[in-house]
Amino acid sequence: MARIGVFVCHCGENIGRTVDASSVAEALRSHPGVVHAEDYRYMCSDPGQTLVREAIAANRLTGVVVAACSPHMHERTFRKVVAAAGLNPFLCEMANIREQCSWIHEDREQATGKAIAITRALVEKVKANTPLETIRIPIERRALVIGGGIAGIQAALDLADGGAEVVLVEKESSIGGHMSQLSETFPTLDCSQCILTPRMVEVAQHPRIRLYAYSEVEEVSGYIGNFEVKVRRKARSVNETLCNGCGACTQACPNRKVPNEFECGLGKRPAISVPFPQAVPNMPVLDRERCARFMAIRKGITKAVCGKCAEACTRGAIDFAQEDRFVTEKVGAIIIATGYQLYSIGKEQPEGEGLSGYGEYGYGQVPDVIDGLQFERLASASGPTGGRIVRPSDGRVPKRVVFLQCVGSRDPSRGIPYCSKICCMYVAKHVMLYRHKVHDGEAVVFYMDVRAAGKGYDEFTRRAIEEEGAIYRRGRVARLWRDGDVVKVQGFDTLSGEPLLLDADLVVLATAVRPQPGIRALAQKLSVSCDQHGFINEAHPKLRPVETNTAGIFVAGACQAPRDIPESVAMGSAAAAKVLGLFSKAELEREPTVARVDAAHCAGCFLCERVCPYGAVGRREVRDRAGRLVKVVAEVNPGVCQGCGTCQATCPGKHVEVQGFTDQQIYAEIAAL
Amino acid sequence: MRELRELAVRLLETSDVQVVIGWEESRRGVRPAFAQTPAEAERLVFDQRCVHNLAAYLHPRRKHIRGLGRPAVVVKGCDARAVAGLIRDNQLRREDVVLIGVRCPGVWAENKAEGQPGNRRWAERCVSCPQRTPTLCDYLIGEDSPEPSGGPGLEAQVERIQALPMAERWAFWSSAFERCVRCYACREICPLCFCERCLADKSMPQWIESSPHRRGNLAWHLARALHLAGRCVGCGECERACPAGIPLSILNARLQQSVRERFEFVVSDDPVAPSPIGEFRVDDGQEFIR
Repeated sequence: MARIGVFVCHCGENIGRTVDASSVAEALRSHPGVVHAEDYRYMCSDPGQTLVREAIAANRLTGVVVAACSPHMHERTFRKVVAAAGLNPFLCEMANIREQCSWIHEDREQATGKAIAITRALVEKVKANTPLETIRIPIERRALVIGGGIAGIQAALDLADGGAEVVLVEKESSIGGHMSQLSETFPTLDCSQCILTPRMVEVAQHPRIRLYAYSEVEEVSGYIGNFEVKVRRKARSVNETLCNGCGACTQACPNRKVPNEFECGLGKRPAISVPFPQAVPNMPVLDRERCARFMAIRKGITKAVCGKCAEACTRGAIDFAQEDRFVTEKVGAIIIATGYQLYSIGKEQPEGEGLSGYGEYGYGQVPDVIDGLQFERLASASGPTGGRIVRPSDGRVPKRVVFLQCVGSRDPSRGIPYCSKICCMYVAKHVMLYRHKVHDGEAVVFYMDVRAAGKGYDEFTRRAIEEEGAIYRRGRVARLWRDGDVVKVQGFDTLSGEPLLLDADLVVLATAVRPQPGIRALAQKLSVSCDQHGFINEAHPKLRPVETNTAGIFVAGACQAPRDIPESVAMGSAAAAKVLGLFSKAELEREPTVARVDAAHCAGCFLCERVCPYGAVGRREVRDRAGRLVKVVAEVNPGVCQGCGTCQATCPGKHVEVQGFTDQQIYAEIAAL
Repeated sequence: MRELRELAVRLLETSDVQVVIGWEESRRGVRPAFAQTPAEAERLVFDQRCVHNLAAYLHPRRKHIRGLGRPAVVVKGCDARAVAGLIRDNQLRREDVVLIGVRCPGVWAENKAEGQPGNRRWAERCVSCPQRTPTLCDYLIGEDSPEPSGGPGLEAQVERIQALPMAERWAFWSSAFERCVRCYACREICPLCFCERCLADKSMPQWIESSPHRRGNLAWHLARALHLAGRCVGCGECERACPAGIPLSILNARLQQSVRERFEFVVSDDPVAPSPIGEFRVDDGQEFIR
């Protein structure tokens, strides 16, 4: 016979204002099977929890209903309380009379009636509940970090220092990411490479980090604690064990006219190259698209062409026949840190992204209209100009530079409504770098607002305006075009209300931050979701910022939203801490609310297998005592199952059920209403 | 007829087929036949009276028929779609059955012998049959024949009901379901109702009240129809078996229309294409969530 205890919470005024909690308790007291009902101001407080614990012992309760907030909020709290009192935690249910009742209703009488009905329904459910045992799964104490930018580097180092093995996969030939391209960093103006490259070297030398540069994640299977990852190691055409990074091959390569991606197209590189001198690993990649030998092969020439690099290599490390290789790694957790790209705002945009481009700015056509990253390379001491800020068109030092903020960002009609966050700050930095190098130069900034929230950030932008003499004009630029030697800037100053037409020597566009192009495909491989712009969704915007909705997969840096360096680093460390927390347990504990197949009645149609979004359903042979195959039935892997219930809804005979949400339980709940 | 018998005899004599499932003459029209010997195979017939969907004998619940050994089955277009459905839903392996496809001329509404009433009227489903000649088969026999015409097709029936105002449509189905005696003949004869234990037979919880009254009847017929969404092959066996004359084919056909419109899926005899009910797609329409 059921002996249910009902505990009604006032939640201060949250519930008490619209629901008469004592009436709810009173009404439930006479509900069949309820032996104890009481109300209290804050049931989740220590005295409240004590009430529950004592009532369980005093009344020999067989089930508990806490009528309070959403199970999301305090189900765990009360299940712990119930467990401490010696009852199976899954015999405790939350009746949500706050979010689903008191917060959304005004009439006290009706809301109280509804609260009673909700609580009765949950009492009926608890009567049908059965004790469930926590599922324990072994953990592989290794982590995969996808992306070797500053967020990924930070995560990898923190993990490795914390004792975990790390596999770091970077798609470019060197780790470092966008930070390695930056000149100096706000708000302290310290040199980006000077603070980054030691971290990169640490990664390379760490005994617990296995670095796969020039590699990509091909396939991911498994589940939290037990992922299996297939990594594609793209062919460098260079034998990694033989190469010592001397650079003789890059010196020997006769094709020196390849646009340099690392320099954002501002410089040239050979067909076999290292992106920058401090690259980690310091090992070249042969660009088969631009190599004379491979171009000849594509044209059908059978004779071996060129081969200068191979001749120059004293160690015989050049391997033209190298192919992509695959390695499989077992990991227990994954951190996504794939970073961002800048919105290339030319008129031509790839299909299906809902972006129309900004043809009126002439980006890509007017050589002296560049984006923020290109300016970084111009200002960088290691850049193509050695840190001299000059015009890409004629190499002249620009006397007036116009900076445009919010290019592509905060423009819902063109597809990107969000703020790219870093631009206000880096434009202020650009202004300073420019003024420091060109003392008689004039820097004009077009802005919508200056958003400088952050430690030392507002002081930094104020300094750009007040001390460095930058001219900030509030307004947008309508059009940019080339007029002889100069770039004409047609805009509008919304503060003075006057139209502006400026002659600029150089225009720098602070274009929007977007996720990396392959992010959706990667998200699909990992079964995590993206928002409409392709940024990875975090599990909770405030309380779980570095977790994703898939257990065991975390996110760090600008692949989640536009992020600056301090934030990316913080997220990298936060994600690493989450992973280390996961790894600190001997076994993984999982809620037993996962699907279970009734093998006796399973007809083996495997609709559940096909609809399962997590790939948690497998097959199992049922044999009789003589070993003869009776039938093949579906079986759920409790480690993978997320308890979504799609299988339960699909099974025509209703022979697969999520534990704790069985048909019988839900039916009882509904029938009580 | 000669072609069918010769093939059946040949399969029984020279291959590992142990039983040929087809039709034979009986006192009251044709009936399903299980030919295990060449002599029995000589009795097989096929004509417009062969209304039954013999795929119903293939699913694993029919253990007594599986016990006869590896079968060859004569299939019309609709029957082949049912076989494909069984393969799709993992109830049958393609290699475990030999399919003798027939170029179906369309069948009569009843399986009665010549001269008996009910004969000479096309079955409604055959008037608008999407595919009379199966593609899922190992052998294909018979002659091409003109498309069945005359009489109202099933689609016309669906349109007629759909055109009624909601209250009248409700009245139409209410009175139809009221007649239901819950004999579950529709379920037993359906080639695609293969559950080990039917939802309707569950008591914990009892989803569907078992006594034949309006509420339980409605629940049963809706559940039955929904389980066939994107799976029903339109063979009309449920309606033929119904002792209460409930026009189940109309309900089934309407549901397949709905599946066609929403999921661009048409039930065919391709055993690989997953039906919408067995597929998880992130881009499925969700306009019903508000």
